[in-house]
Amino acid sequence: MSSAANSANDDLAEVERVLAGEVAAFEGIVRRWQGPLINMAWRYTRDRGRAEELAQEAFIRAWRALAQWRREGSFSTWLFALAANVFRSELKRFPVENVPEKAAVEPSRPASQYRELEERGRQETLRRAVLALPMRYREPVILFYFQEMDVGAAARTMRLPEGTVKARLARARALLRKRFPHLEDEYAAMEMAGKEVG
Amino acid sequence: MTKPEKLDHILSNEDVLVPSSGFVESVMERVREESAAPPPIPFPWRRFVPGIVLAVAVLGWCGSKLVRLGLPDLNEAFLAQSHLSGSIVKPLEQVGWVALALGLSFASVLVARRMAGRSGLL
Repeated sequence: MSSAANSANDDLAEVERVLAGEVAAFEGIVRRWQGPLINMAWRYTRDRGRAEELAQEAFIRAWRALAQWRREGSFSTWLFALAANVFRSELKRFPVENVPEKAAVEPSRPASQYRELEERGRQETLRRAVLALPMRYREPVILFYFQEMDVGAAARTMRLPEGTVKARLARARALLRKRFPHLEDEYAAMEMAGKEVG
Repeated sequence: MTKPEKLDHILSNEDVLVPSSGFVESVMERVREESAAPPPIPFPWRRFVPGIVLAVAVLGWCGSKLVRLGLPDLNEAFLAQSHLSGSIVKPLEQVGWVALALGLSFASVLVARRMAGRSGLL
């Protein structure tokens, strides 16, 4: 049996135990999903402390709403959808300190000795620039690239039609490319160099 | 997507955060607190409904008095213009007030439920 199927079985068994009154069984769920939920929250906030707070809040809401999970969908989809709702509403109440879109300027070409370091900085700038996108475009990007979700999974998590998510994803990519115009050229050059070396 | 683009590459290859060691324990502590807490007190509908009905009735009555004091000639003018007799107008007016009171009660209930829902009481 695959690990995903195992995980789904474990989720189901532990949810049943929790609903039967065994509070301690919830710990298994927290252990299994703490990593994904914290990393998901991190992508919404890029603040580790805040990410753990939000993930904790999501687990508490999941605990309260456990009886509402309909067994026809997977537990993870339900949990991610609930968490996305929690993150969205909490970030509306206390927004993250966003990088203004215009402040997320593409850094100039780094000196060779610092290239790796600069490259990491540049990548982080791009990831932070995602937070500067309007929420309607930001969320599809966060979810699509999170945990190798495909468009369908991201759409189910956001409870939106796949077409809408695809369109928003395309728009978000276009906005990011506009902000970081040299990305693709550099990547093409890197690939070319790699082929030549190979 | 036909070929991986740098944008996709960067956004999908993020360092993975490792949860801090006390995370599970802090979540479970809150879960235990919640499960040990007494169940939420149900909303006191039996006390609330008569109270709100009375309040709406008093408000309606005060409102009608104010309107009559402020516009003393309105009723007469209305009666004179319409060809309805006083015996029909009076019940119609009362029905109007009852409808207004019911509408206000319903709106109050909706607002109260919404507020209770937001604060997690429902």
